[in-house]
Amino acid sequence: MAETVQAPVEERTKDRMEEMYVNMGPQHPSTHGVLRLLLKLDGEVVLECTPYIGYLHRCHEKIGENRTYTQVIPYTDRLDYLASMYNNWGYVLAVERLFGGDIKIPERAEYIRLILGELQRIASHLIWLGTFGLDLGNFTIFMYCFREREMILDLFESVSGQRLNYSFYRIGGVALDLPDSFVSDCKAFLEWFKPRLPEYDAITTDNIIWQKRTQGLGILPKDIALSCAASGPMLRASGIKWDLRREDPYGIYNRFEFDIPVGENGDVWDRFWVRRREMEESVKIVEQALEQLPPGEVMGKVPKKLAPPPGDLYSRVESPRGELGFYLVSDGSTKPYRYKVRSPAFVNLSTLPSIAPGHLVADMVAILGSIDIVLGEVDR
Amino acid sequence: MGLTAASMTADQILQALKERFGEAVLQGDVKGGEVRVTVTPSQSVELLGFLCSLGFEYLNCLSGVDWIGQGELEVVYNLSSLQYKHKAEVNVRIPRENPVVRSVISIWKTANWHEREVYDLLGIRFEGHPDHRRILLSEDWVGHPLRKDYEDERLVRYTPA
Repeated sequence: MAETVQAPVEERTKDRMEEMYVNMGPQHPSTHGVLRLLLKLDGEVVLECTPYIGYLHRCHEKIGENRTYTQVIPYTDRLDYLASMYNNWGYVLAVERLFGGDIKIPERAEYIRLILGELQRIASHLIWLGTFGLDLGNFTIFMYCFREREMILDLFESVSGQRLNYSFYRIGGVALDLPDSFVSDCKAFLEWFKPRLPEYDAITTDNIIWQKRTQGLGILPKDIALSCAASGPMLRASGIKWDLRREDPYGIYNRFEFDIPVGENGDVWDRFWVRRREMEESVKIVEQALEQLPPGEVMGKVPKKLAPPPGDLYSRVESPRGELGFYLVSDGSTKPYRYKVRSPAFVNLSTLPSIAPGHLVADMVAILGSIDIVLGEVDR
Repeated sequence: MGLTAASMTADQILQALKERFGEAVLQGDVKGGEVRVTVTPSQSVELLGFLCSLGFEYLNCLSGVDWIGQGELEVVYNLSSLQYKHKAEVNVRIPRENPVVRSVISIWKTANWHEREVYDLLGIRFEGHPDHRRILLSEDWVGHPLRKDYEDERLVRYTPA
């Protein structure tokens, strides 16, 4: 592996030239949505980076406060539209916890939630890898990843009838049982998918251009990662082994064996490599869950009028992007009094001003790509 | 090495907070293994800093709630300790008129954007914030949408059938 190729920030910026400001975005293909970065440049070197967000803001939280608990579920799909299943899960879990254990989830529903959640993680990481490849000018990996993601979307379509915004999880279980063909289809997909990962490696991991464009870039040190509350692959790439599926288990995660990939340097390469290995782990989890999948109901007993007892609660899950938290305050009515989304992409993006200075403009694209933002979730 | 949360239970952490901050801790209990305290605005930063030094190095979430009935606004800090697996929630209540709390950016950098968001949507000001601007809404927006008395004709309210 190549060592860090760049000189330290101070050295690269010591001979100051005329400074200038350049807008990256809001209409820029590699900002993955509408994000504006105001870059203060010295020649090609970034001195300061100020993100401007909010272009997709729709006050999701205000909308949520004006809907009943069940009516909020479809809105959560639109937060992180690349991992809708996981948003559904995070939200319904928060509401179920607000009931304080009164709602029992049937075993089969727990398994379905987990299987779909982990498939969603693979799909989300595939999109990330594909678009990150595009950012680096590697078009082939994009085609490969979207091919496999399409198969996962086909599975989701067979389950929920939708390809992107599923609204499939319900408070108390899931909407429908799996179709009869699902288990065999899913196994066939996993068998197809596993040998694909070495193929990806051949054009990414083992590719010298890929290595040079990612290693030693955008280093997020441990202490800043903690202080900035980075989460998910972003935090683990910085060498902190923290995964809510293991540390604060929800659903039935504690029944399965899987590893938590951790990086060392916290650079772009590590963030890529953590996500790449997480796909393998998700495959492992889905395989185990398919073996154990029990028969039975998919919806638990839920009161007709969903009005949780008064109280507040912060509930969190490990979405593909990191810690997805929901802070709910109930006043005993059928609508949440306060509904706050702690979006992982929002918080991860806030680390950018700390890690961008000192890099070349061309590398900003790689650094931004490695954070894995979804603006639907950042702007809410 | 001073006191850390390593060998402490949630109850002991609560006890330590009560001993150290006395009257300033208005309310405190432990629910589901989570330490929950309400603190006066004048001691909020000190208490949060103390929790950070105990090992709560991670600020999960910072949000606000409008308690219009009581004429108060509330800032909610959700903390956790990655090393010692503790969780804590700290609440600070301030009057709806002239709502000001002190910024915690000096303790956790992540508070920067969270505090800007709370200011943007709820109108709570954070004293000592280095970049006190709106974040999600445009700079010329009037009002703070998450206040319960905020009106906008574009907002479709839910009316049960």
